[in-house]
Amino acid sequence: MKDLQVIQMGARARKIKASLQTIMLLFTLSSTDRRLSAQQETPPPPGPPRSVQFPKPVEKTLSNGLRVIVASRPESVPLVTAMLMIKTGAEADPPELSGLADMTANLLAKGTTTRSAPEIAEAIEALGGSLDAGARWDSSTISINVLSSRLPQAMEILSDVVRHPVFKEEEIERQRRQTLDGLQVALRQPGSLARFVASRVLFGDAPYAHPISGTLETVQRIDRDAIVRFHRTYYRPDNAVLVIGGRISPEGAFALAERFFGDWARPAQPLTSSTSSARLPAKSRIVVIDKPDAGQAAVILVRAGIKRTDADYFRGLVANSVLGGGFSSRLNQEIRIRRGLSYGASSALDVRRDVGPFIASAQTRNETADEVAALMITELERLATDNLPDAELTPRKAALIGNFARTIETTGGLVAQVASLALYGLRLDEINDYIRNIQAITADDVQRFTRERLNASEANIVIVGNARSFLDDLKKRFPNVEVIKEDELDLNSGALRRSQAQTGKEAGP
Amino acid sequence: MRFVKLPFSLLLSMMLSYQAFSEPMPRRNDLETDNVPKIDYRLRTLANGLRVVSVEDHSSPTVAIQVWYHVGSKDDPEGRSGFAHLFEHMMFKSTKNMKDEMMDRLTEDVGGFNNAFTADDVTVYFEVVPSNYLETLLWAEADRLASLNVNDESFRSEREVVKEEFMQSYVAPPYGKLNLLIEQRSFMVHPYRRPGIGNIEELNAATLEDVRRFHATYYRPDNATLVVVGDFDPKQLDAWVDKYFGRIPKPAAPLPRVTAREPERSGERRYIEHAPNVPLPAIAVTYLVPPQRSDDAFALRVAEAVLAEGESSRLYQRLVYERQLAQFINANADLREDHGLFVLRVILASGKDPAEAERALLAEIEKMRSAPVANAELEKAKNQLLADLLRERETNNGKALAIGEATVLLGDPNRVNTDIARLQAVSAADVQRVMQRYFTDKNRVIIHYLAESTNAQTEGKR
Repeated sequence: MKDLQVIQMGARARKIKASLQTIMLLFTLSSTDRRLSAQQETPPPPGPPRSVQFPKPVEKTLSNGLRVIVASRPESVPLVTAMLMIKTGAEADPPELSGLADMTANLLAKGTTTRSAPEIAEAIEALGGSLDAGARWDSSTISINVLSSRLPQAMEILSDVVRHPVFKEEEIERQRRQTLDGLQVALRQPGSLARFVASRVLFGDAPYAHPISGTLETVQRIDRDAIVRFHRTYYRPDNAVLVIGGRISPEGAFALAERFFGDWARPAQPLTSSTSSARLPAKSRIVVIDKPDAGQAAVILVRAGIKRTDADYFRGLVANSVLGGGFSSRLNQEIRIRRGLSYGASSALDVRRDVGPFIASAQTRNETADEVAALMITELERLATDNLPDAELTPRKAALIGNFARTIETTGGLVAQVASLALYGLRLDEINDYIRNIQAITADDVQRFTRERLNASEANIVIVGNARSFLDDLKKRFPNVEVIKEDELDLNSGALRRSQAQTGKEAGP
Repeated sequence: MRFVKLPFSLLLSMMLSYQAFSEPMPRRNDLETDNVPKIDYRLRTLANGLRVVSVEDHSSPTVAIQVWYHVGSKDDPEGRSGFAHLFEHMMFKSTKNMKDEMMDRLTEDVGGFNNAFTADDVTVYFEVVPSNYLETLLWAEADRLASLNVNDESFRSEREVVKEEFMQSYVAPPYGKLNLLIEQRSFMVHPYRRPGIGNIEELNAATLEDVRRFHATYYRPDNATLVVVGDFDPKQLDAWVDKYFGRIPKPAAPLPRVTAREPERSGERRYIEHAPNVPLPAIAVTYLVPPQRSDDAFALRVAEAVLAEGESSRLYQRLVYERQLAQFINANADLREDHGLFVLRVILASGKDPAEAERALLAEIEKMRSAPVANAELEKAKNQLLADLLRERETNNGKALAIGEATVLLGDPNRVNTDIARLQAVSAADVQRVMQRYFTDKNRVIIHYLAESTNAQTEGKR
């Protein structure tokens, strides 16, 4: 919710964190326009490329079962990120208490047995640091980013908030109100509302279906007992990974891990593994949430994607890059550059422990929502059938590799990447295989992946906007459109619609 | 902003460049002034007036290239609000030697990236590429400075993109319109009163002829600064710069400059504004403060951090944590070239009274005026500001932004090295002095931003 609020208020400039420190330089310039006339100049060609090396993470497991990973970058600026990751996240929320994992993580730094919430904020900020906590899918994380020299003090605080939170009633109420206010704002944004709906459409009543922060109804129900139980069950050293990255030596980092987490006791009873996810709804849906005051329509195409550990992962990454990854992807070419229908269109293959969503999204004028939805489907179909020339594929692979290099350029990005590998039980030095893995993908791989794993016939469409402006045209393109009024929407179930009785009951005060 | 990844309102409140930092790192990792090594830059000025600032850094095989044009939204032609930003988008269309979107072929397609942003005072184009592409990109940047050759179809289609940007950033989000109102209500005379994104009517009125004229007027070597940071050989860089930029002539016509100045505010102004789709009321309070080059800039930055950086800040503690009147607070010392604007924003918690939240906010301002901040609080604020700057300078592109800002807006690239000491020197008395001087009742504008449904008869100005 914090991020969301910053985006809404906008004007506080986010810093541009965007250069690429390390990148493979094997790509030749393939796009020089041969039709240039004689008087025109062609760009000078590149010089010889230089090679690159990403950090090699090292690891060790403490006697209590805590896995500690260090990704050291000795020559970087003196910053360190330390992240404590619990390998359980919002997927473990009981359906009637969705938001529980996120609420638990958010409350960690709101008071321990020895410090109040303001004292924790004061302590970390005096170090010039920041502390971020929250649940996501498959994990809950709390991380700090500080100057290398202040890492010992920061680690002491990190250990305290993970191991000794008190979950005071007063703080729970405060957090509950903030979460509800944040949700109220999110529900008014066509973009975030469309994402909430898309998850329900794809996952029905299975895990991964609810908003991570919960719903207006479930957040009301979360009580201290549930939070304490969640913390006791999942926050244990043998269900956690500590990742430290940036300018710090591995020895120094391991010593700090031992000092602050070495005596974190492992409970005697083994952790019960989380339940596997339920079956997904089989039928595709075209869902319109009618929001008459929407300034723009948010359009989403969503369908099942793949697991992170799928053997097709790298094929999927490249397929997504061609379709909707970055400025020059097909979706942005067709929707923004060619037709001016949107400020930006993109897609994402969101991989998780279990099958995650594949999502294409754009915001557009209410009047053109149907056209954008149709373009998304057309482009997905085209990727499965039409020829993909190397002149297009090679640059999309280069863009992917460049993005990856930029992602792990900052200490925060490096730590997040390593943590994700650890979460899904993958080899940590996959970082250094990334370029090779991407380069091995062929046009045939992309086409086959799209046909077999992203088939457009199983795609769902979600549009949040002023239905009057596009509904007639949408119905011409799609026969079975479900229209749900904004005030009838129920994010607690796959049906998405409040029952009549429910609507009547809650329309009261 | 050309693409969604960065907010349009980068406003150049990208923090003042207080702090110098470059490799090799000091042995002690302390952020003390004498331990922070200089950014070792080179400044050249070509015969045609182009300034070139470069920093060699071979720690990664990449290079960041930026071209800063000293023209921004305040230079939007009359009746063409939003034009400087619309024009920024056109700079990615065809030139004499490049076709539409060729910049993407030269950057994204080889693993790099590009983008641009338009602020009140400057327009900045930037790209990061593998360092063996430096010559290619210098050629391309020089090419779009020398010539722009947009066709009508591209112009019209890109204008639609900018209109969607307007809708996505300012109409669809619940508090988007508030950001426009802050500009409109805070300035009476200076062109800062026109939001950089413009409005649909004036965007529709823009023509291809406007594009040509704007390029001829402002896109000239003596109004540009090239910044190059990363992996390159200095002699080679100079030769390429001379070859591709040196041949661009300097026009004889003088550069037009905005001369309007905002008069001092003579009394509090209040506005009640309504918008659809606003879930919780919001309040914005603005004070007119000195421009970016003022000596008071440092103390204003510290005041900003004390008030609102992090959960231990005063406004968060009082308004969000203790009294639970607000769900969001923010302070922004938005110091621009001609005038600064100190903006405070509050989104209320549900069920709270805007009048009460306003009183609580103003009480915190009053406290900063009536008593000096505690030493620990002052040190915390400085640590936060310095750490923020360090994070910004993790990358070549971030470093280049700091250098560009120092050169173009502060008039001296060396400010990236000297400002840190001045920040460290800010005392509690300095903070109190700027609070007393600028945060007066008669120097404030107060906006209450409410849902349309609660609209009574009072609309707009009062």
